[in-house]
Amino acid sequence: MEIRKETLEKATIVKLIGRLDASSSKKVKEAVKDLLDTNVRNVVFDMEGIDFIDSTGLGSLVAALRSVSKQGGEIKIAGLGERVRVIFELTRLHRIFDIYDNGAEAAASFS
Amino acid sequence: MEEDRTPTGSIRLAIESRLENIPMVGVSVSRLCSLIPLDEIEASKVELCVVEALNNSIVHAYENLEGHEVETVFSFYPDKLVVHVCDAGKPMDERILRECALFPPDLDRLDIGDIPECGRGLGIIKSIMDSVEYRTKAGKNCLIMKKEIRTDV
Repeated sequence: MEIRKETLEKATIVKLIGRLDASSSKKVKEAVKDLLDTNVRNVVFDMEGIDFIDSTGLGSLVAALRSVSKQGGEIKIAGLGERVRVIFELTRLHRIFDIYDNGAEAAASFS
Repeated sequence: MEEDRTPTGSIRLAIESRLENIPMVGVSVSRLCSLIPLDEIEASKVELCVVEALNNSIVHAYENLEGHEVETVFSFYPDKLVVHVCDAGKPMDERILRECALFPPDLDRLDIGDIPECGRGLGIIKSIMDSVEYRTKAGKNCLIMKKEIRTDV
């Protein structure tokens, strides 16, 4: 999985590309740690490029939500494709994440 | 395997116990689903179940140790598909499968700190597949997942 970061005025967009699974989820945790270390608090995970997610990948997003919330920040999710969206809905995680159609919309939603 | 009929088709995929090998099986299973009447979303769900079973074999049965074999046997019949994921590692306590929780509808009422990071794999499999069994025999552990193929849709 590839990760690209883009810093905007209100938030940092973290673009995830490829498969978010047990072998790649550690990269998400590392990326979030790096952001928190540089005082970034508003984070958007743009998942338009994710074509597969498993439970470990979902767990890495929950871990990110916890650690960013603990630091007073927020995480928003954007660009879920249908295959990924159905897994969010199956596991009910769509109820705990703020989900937007695309990264720009999610970034603009931060006050 | 333990079915009373000969499958229409069957394939065995074996990998070494490394998480990096799992996508090769997952992608293969998803493509194999195109041979039967499953749409792209359903095929992706079957792929996810196989990936979760392989994760469990490697992480729990083999405790992330490389050099062991994990076998996936994908068989399809006119009315169902059956997937065996087998290892020769530490057996799972069958109560874990029996008692693993499906996903609570009121998850959003939980405090963020109470939302679990892990433990969703078996719940996902049970939610997607029509039946799930776990068998241990002669040192071989198999998670057997079955999904009916509905031809009336």
